[in-house]
Amino acid sequence: MIYDVTHITTYKYDAPVASATCVMRLAPREDGGQSVISRSLEFSPQAESVRERKDFFGNVVCEKRIAKPHTSLRIALRASVRVDRPAPPAPALTPAWETIAEWAAASNVLDGRSPAHFIYPSRLAPLHAGATDHARASFPPDRPVLEGAADLMRRIHAEFIYDPKATQVATPLDQAFGRRSGVCQDFAHIMIAGLRGLGLPAAYISGYLRTIPAPGQARLEGADSTHAWVSLWCGPDFGWQGLDPTNAMMVEDDHIVIAIGRDYADVSPVDGVLFGAGKQELEVSVDVQAVNG
Amino acid sequence: MPLEQPIEIETPPQRVARWLGAYRAAPGVFDELLDSDGRPRSHWSHLLEALAGFGEDGLEQRFAAARRRIDDMGISYRVASENKEQSWPLGRLPLLISEAEWRRIEAGVTQRAELLDRILQDVYGEARLVSDGALPAAAVTGSPDFIRPMYGVAPPGGRWLRFYAADLGRGPDGDWWVLGDRAQAPSGAGYALENRLVLSRAFPSLYGEMKVERLAPFFRAFRASLSAAARRSDPRICLMTPGPFSATYSEQVHLARYLGLILVEGEDLAMSDGRLHVRTIAGLKRADVIWRRVDADWCDPLEMNAASRLGVAGMFEAIRNGAVVVANMPGAGLIESRALLSFLPALSQRLLGERLKLANVATWWCGQRDARCEVLRALDDRAIAAAFGDQPPGLPGRQIALGSELSSKDRERLVAAINERGVDYVGQEIVKLSTTPTWIEGRIAPRPFVLRVYAAATPQGWIVMPGGFCRVSDRLDARAVSMEAGAQSCDVWVLASQQIEHSTLLPSQVDPAIIRMLGNLPSRAADNLFWMGRYLERAEATLRLVRSLSTRLTEQQAEFHERQPIELLARMLIAWGAAPATPALAAAEIARVATSDPGNYGSALALVGAAKRSASIIRERLSQDVWQLLGRLEKRLAKSRSRTFSEPEALEVVERALHTLAALSGLIDENFNRVAGWSFLDLGRRIERAINACRFARLFGGDQATDETLDALLELLDSQITYRSRYLTGPALAPVRDMAMLDPYNPRSVGFQVLRIDEHLAALPALRADGVMEPARRLCVKLRADLESEDARQLSEAEMLEVEQRLMALAERIAERYFIQAAKGPSKYKPWRLA
Repeated sequence: MIYDVTHITTYKYDAPVASATCVMRLAPREDGGQSVISRSLEFSPQAESVRERKDFFGNVVCEKRIAKPHTSLRIALRASVRVDRPAPPAPALTPAWETIAEWAAASNVLDGRSPAHFIYPSRLAPLHAGATDHARASFPPDRPVLEGAADLMRRIHAEFIYDPKATQVATPLDQAFGRRSGVCQDFAHIMIAGLRGLGLPAAYISGYLRTIPAPGQARLEGADSTHAWVSLWCGPDFGWQGLDPTNAMMVEDDHIVIAIGRDYADVSPVDGVLFGAGKQELEVSVDVQAVNG
Repeated sequence: MPLEQPIEIETPPQRVARWLGAYRAAPGVFDELLDSDGRPRSHWSHLLEALAGFGEDGLEQRFAAARRRIDDMGISYRVASENKEQSWPLGRLPLLISEAEWRRIEAGVTQRAELLDRILQDVYGEARLVSDGALPAAAVTGSPDFIRPMYGVAPPGGRWLRFYAADLGRGPDGDWWVLGDRAQAPSGAGYALENRLVLSRAFPSLYGEMKVERLAPFFRAFRASLSAAARRSDPRICLMTPGPFSATYSEQVHLARYLGLILVEGEDLAMSDGRLHVRTIAGLKRADVIWRRVDADWCDPLEMNAASRLGVAGMFEAIRNGAVVVANMPGAGLIESRALLSFLPALSQRLLGERLKLANVATWWCGQRDARCEVLRALDDRAIAAAFGDQPPGLPGRQIALGSELSSKDRERLVAAINERGVDYVGQEIVKLSTTPTWIEGRIAPRPFVLRVYAAATPQGWIVMPGGFCRVSDRLDARAVSMEAGAQSCDVWVLASQQIEHSTLLPSQVDPAIIRMLGNLPSRAADNLFWMGRYLERAEATLRLVRSLSTRLTEQQAEFHERQPIELLARMLIAWGAAPATPALAAAEIARVATSDPGNYGSALALVGAAKRSASIIRERLSQDVWQLLGRLEKRLAKSRSRTFSEPEALEVVERALHTLAALSGLIDENFNRVAGWSFLDLGRRIERAINACRFARLFGGDQATDETLDALLELLDSQITYRSRYLTGPALAPVRDMAMLDPYNPRSVGFQVLRIDEHLAALPALRADGVMEPARRLCVKLRADLESEDARQLSEAEMLEVEQRLMALAERIAERYFIQAAKGPSKYKPWRLA
């Protein structure tokens, strides 16, 4: 499947910003059954310096500096992405979850794809006794890891209410878990915290969903915005598998991966520092169109 | 001396015998004083005999002098989450270490520092230790100080570790053990230095007699190695501090001053052209070396914790560019993890081909199945601690759990947690720490201690500070010794077998170049000096107002025109926040609160407090005397609040506070080096004095002025005597206005201040080389010309107000040009959530 992605982010400031350094993680990744045919990042006002690098987890990071006063910032990403993932493995064939935990702790790889990075608590996905207990119910002894994770994903989808008003970007996991409601970001953090509580390697993925569903299917939650889901390491043979608790679906060709990290803080789409004291107004629009391919 | 009871005169040997007789070493632990047969070791005997020779009273006097010195020097620390700094608990007895023993410690710490540096090099480089299976990846990734942006980065200057500390304890068999490693930003070396300064003042002769090795050469070598690591000669070296709220700020200030480093906060640094710079009053100046006391996670908001205000955006990029040497590199804190301890014996063999010379406490990382089983099998003999950081999950509020002391329920829970997430835990052998004598209420008693030893990398290899930072527990049974838990610190004496010859310790040096200008003043320092000057001047003005008010209250006033100055003085105090407007207070009450009520921001006490806060940020630039005097002034004003004074007494407090302020001004003027620092302090003082003089002149010398108000004005300006010697008549409007506003010979007039301000501005560095006047100077020159050409007989009240406003504008221009503008400080992009 080929998608045309248009993602426009606009900041408006009520007082001039003297200068700014903007760090963006917006470009789709080029691995895991995904390739980028073309992409462009439009930025206004014009940046004085632009730097592109890859972070530890292999995400494309674009850093732009604006040295002159400005009252708005517009970032327009346009990309054409080919997605062709292999079908997920049959869950029953994956190794027992205890084995995965043992392997992850014994990993002898240190680079960004190592499961060893994803078993520990992180800033926004701390260990949480409630989330761990909740996850444990899906993992009786010796259950194949993907079977347990898929079960946990479906349970979160069934037990938690999708409610954009229930949480904010900075709502801690504890609150979202207590209220049993939130959006994709909360669900992903809750699922990750639960999996890690059992010693399982779980990553946080940011990305897009196709805006218009495939014929005969319902529109997906999060389709008009940037989306987030979970990726689980299933051992060296099966690698990383995506699970989307917001839509209770295994990740296949409807999802476009932008960035991988331990939680939102590692993948936050726009970050940086700006020198100015005023208020900010933010507008984000996302459009993902499937093109024949 | 009381004569009712017969007094036995105790001889020094009797005194030692009494001390030793009451000393009871605990069974089963090593004691520093007594050997296994219960006899005092010879070096301890020497020390006790020497101390006994001072006599009971002599000792008390010396200890009391040491105590005062600690207070005067402002050695302090801050307990986490508390606002007030605690005074420093210095133990009276040093820890003694013989030379032979010290050589073993030194060799062990040197080896360990080198080993840890190589491990860091590997982990952040090729990671061969991980791919070869010698070190599991998860033993690295669990550390909050595995700083991912530093993966694959070559450290500028070639080293990950430059300043390292090991916490040592001595086990029952007399061997020293490494209890933990410190590499993030090891603290305590500055306190060790301060302890040495204080104790060596109290017992100057003892250090020579006991042949105590000196600490200074170590610091000198460390300073030289930082300098040598930089790319250019004569580099700018900064000590990066989290600021006055950090627990060990006082230590950082002391180190910066002692080593001659620029103390900077994140805000003082800026990125430009891929390099790190210090914001100075002469613009951005390259920062070549950063000795950081800010944790890595807070160093760079662009790549680490985005919420950090302690760091500087782009620092990691500067490191990747090789443009700044950072000691220690962000990420060096990785080696503090207890998980790593279990791998060190094998890693030492592998990387150095040597056994560890100093063993660390036996440790099993529960992330490995075999080690986990071993820990759980012998849980009763193990201490369970966090593999990474200090807080093991599932043990709220505890750092360490002893297997044998757990309730069956807690034990069950802990075993389950270790089985589920073993990666988070280590099991450790329980070490019984040795004890050293401490002074407790006139006698000596054994207490357990931890010794922190410091090593610095030099081009010739690692050197170890001969001494250390020793923390002594206040309880006999201590498993964790931290400064916050009521512990003391004590000086550590490494006793040389040969006489220490001071001259040989001086490194042979090439002749240093003569320097008169000490670099460029950081903008933040300039800012705080300026405000210190302003606050002190404002405090003085408040006290002068109070004095004028109080003297008038003690006299009888019947007529309205006699009462008028009182009304005006009270109004003035209320107008600048020295006293509340409501409820309406009696004049005497206004005088009292304006002196010593900290709740009113314009009171003398509040202003001195504000001056002290500004001073605390630039403490490394102030002499010890200035700091002490400021502290005393604050104490004195605060004390006057605690009880009700009679009016004459209150007046005396004010007089004495004014004297202290005068002494402070004198001290500053006589002792402050005349390079930029003093200029800003004086600029602040001059601006404030000029503005206040305008206010006084408008209020007391305005169009409604009377003889009484003009007299009060002369008094506020300290100009009564001069006036009377110049004019034979009583106070008249034009002459008084001339003295207040224009007279360039009156050190309290506006004109005089503006002349001084102009001189300062002319001497300060210019940003541009084109010779065009900067805005602040331009304003000042115009004002100066107007005041010089003004005729007091033509001067109106409105014009006096205009002068005041121009002075305020001038203060703003100075701030814009030379200081960091906090209002324009960094903020974050508003994040959006992924839905």
